[in-house]
Amino acid sequence: MTTQRIVVDRNRCTGIGICESIFPERFEVDDDGTLIVHDTVVTAENRAGVEDAVQACPAAALSLASRDEE
Amino acid sequence: MPLHATQHEPTTAYDISSKEFWSRSPDERDDVFQRLRTEAPVSWHPPIEASLPPEVHGQAGFWAVTKAEDITYVSQNHELFSSALGSSALYPYGPDTGSRAVILDMDPPVHTAYRKVISSAFTPKAVARLSGQIEARAEQIVDRVIGAGSIDFVDDVAAKLPMMTVADLIGIPEHHVERFAEAGDRIVLLQDPLALPEGVDPNELLGEVMGTLGEIGLPLAEERRKNPEDDVMSAIVHADVDGVTFDEQAILSVMTLLSVAGNDTTKQTTTHAVIQLAQNPDQKAWLLDDFEGRIAGATEELIRHASPIISFARTATEDLDLGGQRILAGDKVGIFYASGNRDESVFKNPRRFDLSRGRSPHVGFGGGGVHYCLGNNVAKAQLRALFKQILTKLPDIVVGEPERLNSDFINGYRHLPVVIS
Repeated sequence: MTTQRIVVDRNRCTGIGICESIFPERFEVDDDGTLIVHDTVVTAENRAGVEDAVQACPAAALSLASRDEE
Repeated sequence: MPLHATQHEPTTAYDISSKEFWSRSPDERDDVFQRLRTEAPVSWHPPIEASLPPEVHGQAGFWAVTKAEDITYVSQNHELFSSALGSSALYPYGPDTGSRAVILDMDPPVHTAYRKVISSAFTPKAVARLSGQIEARAEQIVDRVIGAGSIDFVDDVAAKLPMMTVADLIGIPEHHVERFAEAGDRIVLLQDPLALPEGVDPNELLGEVMGTLGEIGLPLAEERRKNPEDDVMSAIVHADVDGVTFDEQAILSVMTLLSVAGNDTTKQTTTHAVIQLAQNPDQKAWLLDDFEGRIAGATEELIRHASPIISFARTATEDLDLGGQRILAGDKVGIFYASGNRDESVFKNPRRFDLSRGRSPHVGFGGGGVHYCLGNNVAKAQLRALFKQILTKLPDIVVGEPERLNSDFINGYRHLPVVIS
């Protein structure tokens, strides 16, 4: 089945944490400024929040990617 | 390549370079920017009228980027639009010295390493840890002016919290906070020569301010080397990101940068917000109806509407096309956030102060990319804390006629008389 996942472009991410302020359950910037995504899978329940966070990233470091997974 | 020196034919008759233009009100200026957005979204202009003549500073002019979409494009493509090749100030301060001491004037990967060192103090969790202190200071500031009668809102309220917060971020001890805050206010004068009082020599003032920062900062650096705490000074004296270390000069540069970037921005937004809330009682009532639920979105609108930073500049690294114009390598490119925040293709009725817009793609913290405002969370925490106090404790504040700042860099006010009964 097709799964959609959150993808972080580490070359663009500056650890500013707008994503965390929008969706703290999924996104967390740790103390050294590295973004941690807790579970990258996009579900029907979290889609709206994830999309808000992806769109709001000022560094354009977040995107969603679909692929077929077992 | 010629740096900021290539002459181009004017592409429009609109003037956005003269002192006269920058002495107009923001709405009057936006009458011109509105035309540029519609008729010539990217246009060539002579250099900003400066204290030095063009034959001395050597700059031929700049491309003005006025639409939000293009501002975002320039901001996010630092490979094409460099902050390090030329200074990131729109104002022509003088012949380029090649000095790039602050991270505003750096590109990746150097910028990435430096930014990473101080960014640990600005993560959402770090700001959350600081928010108790911000709230306590906001309460003290507002409590002090209850029943104060006629005061200057800028000096007595708006200017206070930002520098105290910068002091707390750096780790300045309490007994130096006041003196540090004064130094920061004087740096802001240097940042904009149009705002500098007559007869003040900028170099002399800079020397004094750097002296004060050194007296406060260098002993603190020494102390934090031995006993690190959870603050910016500890982070920079113990820095070991990609081999980046900070000498005395670099420590003073960080203090200077934070004093400029964290100071006038929030101060001007606070003053602008108090004026707008007084002029729009419906908006004030709407916010008070559910302060906790609405302040996060409302804060975004306070920043968009205030647009405290008007402009920054980049330097094109190669020949390229933008907004129908051919930009050449080495050309100066001005990005006008204040114009982007009135872009009618993004914001409906852009001049209206409408707190219910909520989160919007405004460029008040910059157009994104690697230079996006590091302190955005700190600014929002301060505005939230201050307005909670102001709206509940100063409900009958009467706002007078503001004295505006004439500047091509900072949108704001020198003074705002208010009466607090």
